[in-house]
Amino acid sequence: MPSQTNRSGHNRRTQKTRLLAIGAMFACLALIFSYIEAIIPFNAGIPGVKLGIANLVVIIALYNMGPKYAFTINCIRILVAGLLFNGAFGAVYSLAGGVLSFLVMWGLKKTNLFSMAGVSMAGGVAHNMGQLFVASAIVSNLKMFLYFPVLMFSGLASGIMIGVVACVIDSRVPKQLFR
Amino acid sequence: MFKFIKKADIVLFFVLLAFGIGLSALSLFTGTSGQKVQIEVNGQPYAVYSLAENQTIEITEHGHTNKITIKDGAVQMSYSDCKNQICVNDGQISKTNQSIVCLPNKVMVEITGGEEEFDAISN
Ligand SMILES: [Zn+2]
Repeated sequence: MPSQTNRSGHNRRTQKTRLLAIGAMFACLALIFSYIEAIIPFNAGIPGVKLGIANLVVIIALYNMGPKYAFTINCIRILVAGLLFNGAFGAVYSLAGGVLSFLVMWGLKKTNLFSMAGVSMAGGVAHNMGQLFVASAIVSNLKMFLYFPVLMFSGLASGIMIGVVACVIDSRVPKQLFR
Repeated sequence: MFKFIKKADIVLFFVLLAFGIGLSALSLFTGTSGQKVQIEVNGQPYAVYSLAENQTIEITEHGHTNKITIKDGAVQMSYSDCKNQICVNDGQISKTNQSIVCLPNKVMVEITGGEEEFDAISN
């Protein structure tokens, strides 16, 4: 790959290759975060309460690489994590949460009204809500909605935490990495 | 330190917070009065009670008497003047959609609302 250095299209191609490489790296990083979360029993006995460290990577990717990369990284992360540590059933929940949270974050980012912390906060809530919707659809049980407030607050808290960390990290990441 | 936080973030935070608090209040409310004890006499709705409240209800209709006792989240027909006594022998019910029927006296007791049994979600 690096031997292809002909003048025309040189910039484009190397940029794309670089983004692909970084995207793959990010997906791995997100996977590692998922793994850390899976082995540390952070959830206090309540299903779905997670810190969502992997979302850190998704947010950084959303702001620096664009929605396509961020979405792909997110999906790869969820599917592989589902196969490796959460089980296929867990992957369905995660995917619902992941997709919904991504859509919310993307939408809010587009308005340019919110900071990374706000975007992440909304993403955290959306993530938990998405999981809950799937859970209640599968189990078809109203009791699931007793979890609603718990998941809401935990999503809020973890979203803010992740968002603040993302802000700090984002300001330190060399921007030429993504150019 | 938190200079990057924008006004819209704070607004959104409070909106979500208010939403969450509203939901907690709602789930608390529906949580405590989830299951109801519904009584029908002669095919007509007679009364509805909370399963969480301990009490004995005496029903005298058409010259027949039935006593329904709600205790610790369970319901039973504690007395009936019917001939077959099937309803009294049915014992306690405590789950949604379970019912006790006294056919001779045309009294039906059913648990409605709340939640059905589930343990599918563990992880
Ligand atoms: Zn009877």
